[in-house]
Amino acid sequence: MALAKTLSAAEPGAHSAAAQPVIVANNLTIGYSLHRERKLLTALKNITLTVNKGEFVVLVGPSGCGKTTFINAIAGIVQPWEGTVEVNGQPVTGPGPDRAMVFQDYALMPWRTVESNIRMPFELKNLGLSKQEMDERVHRYLKLVDLNGFEKSFPYELSGGMKQRVGIARALVTEPDILLADEPFAAIDAMTREAMQSELERFVTQTRQTVVFITHSIDEAVMLGDRVVVISYRPGQIKEIVPVNLPRPRFDYDVKALPEYGELREHIWRLVKDEALQAARGGK
Amino acid sequence: MSVQSSSATPPAESGRYTDAQWSFAEFWRRWGSWFITIINLTCFFILWELFARSGAISPLFLPTASGMFETLYNGLTTTAPPGSVISGSILDHLGYSMMTLFTGLAIACVIGIPAGLLMGGNRAVETILSPYIWALASLPRIALVPLFILFMGFTVKMQITIIVLSAVFPIIINAWAGVKTTEKSLLSAARVFGAGKWDLYRKVVFPYTLPFIISGIQQGIGRGLIGVVIAEIFGGSRGLGYLIQRAADTFNSSLMYAVLMLLVIVSLSLINFTRWLEAYVAPWRRLDRV
Ligand SMILES: Nc1ncnc2c1ncn2[C@@H]1O[C@H](COP(=O)(O)OP(=O)(O)O)[C@@H](O)[C@H]1O
Ligand SMILES: [Mg+2]
Repeated sequence: MALAKTLSAAEPGAHSAAAQPVIVANNLTIGYSLHRERKLLTALKNITLTVNKGEFVVLVGPSGCGKTTFINAIAGIVQPWEGTVEVNGQPVTGPGPDRAMVFQDYALMPWRTVESNIRMPFELKNLGLSKQEMDERVHRYLKLVDLNGFEKSFPYELSGGMKQRVGIARALVTEPDILLADEPFAAIDAMTREAMQSELERFVTQTRQTVVFITHSIDEAVMLGDRVVVISYRPGQIKEIVPVNLPRPRFDYDVKALPEYGELREHIWRLVKDEALQAARGGK
Repeated sequence: MSVQSSSATPPAESGRYTDAQWSFAEFWRRWGSWFITIINLTCFFILWELFARSGAISPLFLPTASGMFETLYNGLTTTAPPGSVISGSILDHLGYSMMTLFTGLAIACVIGIPAGLLMGGNRAVETILSPYIWALASLPRIALVPLFILFMGFTVKMQITIIVLSAVFPIIINAWAGVKTTEKSLLSAARVFGAGKWDLYRKVVFPYTLPFIISGIQQGIGRGLIGVVIAEIFGGSRGLGYLIQRAADTFNSSLMYAVLMLLVIVSLSLINFTRWLEAYVAPWRRLDRV
């Protein structure tokens, strides 16, 4: 556990020399009012986190600890009770074209074709692009996610992996600074998942996009993250931030064979397991 | 994610779809149920014919199948001269009933679709309207017929009012349910990508609700048809309901059965049309159900 101690002492973003903060969550507290029980539920409490430009931050924690709530607050579709979220120095008041999201259940419009789904962000937000530029982008990202030939297919005609690739293309097509991903690969088979993780890593390393990524898989967290944020159960608080200093691209280096990989995995697993046990016992 | 080798499904090639080979099993799978239905119905009408001819039941109550079809054929192929009372003019009465039915359905759609959408989208409207909607929807509409006759007499207006009242509630309730059950994740996705309130309605809620509205109309057609026939039986001098009443009064059983047969055909055709329409606008729902 010596390793774990040194790691948890590290400051957020300390590994990056010229750290440029992109997302700043300051003492964030978010909850919901439960109509039926006449109660207020605090989902997240006092979250303070800075995510730097180009960084890949992974959130892990037991189900119901507030990961989705946090990412929705960054996206601007959930308003905080207390504290603030700032994106590129501006307080978040709603969604913006600098942020895009990939959803666990794909959230594709079933009545739209693959192409039309990917084009949808352009219909909803005027990014000042010409018609040609939009067409060009739609087709570039269709190709990037390897779906050329399926432009006219409907989501119900696609496999889970293909649907999620549509979801990814829809998020990337606006070329956002920040990519938010809520368990994007959870419903996809293991083989496809690994291929998609590897491609995502390569892509965001290239584009220097900032990523906030939620997962239940500790392997996925260690394979993808620059830092892994472990969130505790109810109210969700940051339990520990674990930096992952493994060489990239990780899928090429076979980092799973490194002893550090095993230690990190073990360490995060213990943290999450404690919280999951709390959750199973019905909270604190 | 342009990995060719490791992607789960190969990109589309020209050979992705091939025509199915002709085989008896395949042919039977596709058309077998039609074939059986035709034989089934043929047997039914032959048995009916034999039974009616045996004289076990008076022809006043049960005409022969051939007699019924003859009346139906004549009634649909000839047009009654103006002023004639009934004989052989089924087509005119059918046209009249359909006109009233479709006028009523159109009005029911014009009222019901916006009302349902508004109720689904606005808490205040929902709270205020829902007691009335439920009360009227649960009231058997026939109970209102005498009231409307009192108000409007035996007029087309009365008949259309009854059809509208019969058809509007399933449309409202379905549209309302469609809005309410719109998947939250689709709404979140649209919002994240910049949808305003109006975009959410236009680009998510409405397309999601459309198949619900169509099944509402489907139920509305069924109820509306009952409404038409009842309104015409109660009073009036035209329409299929009136024809049934006349056939009963004049002991014309083959006319009576011909009109009933026609009602079955009309009702099934309309319902199948809306089914097809539903599958056409929302193919994803049909696949989900399989
Ligand atoms: N719209 C909502 N209304 C009420 N409670 C909610 C809502 N969304 C989430 N919650 C509650 O907030 C807590 C955190 O939820 P969520 O952020 O979805 O957790 P996670 O994504 O980590 O599983 C859970 O207890 C959940 O029940
Ligand atoms: Mg979640």
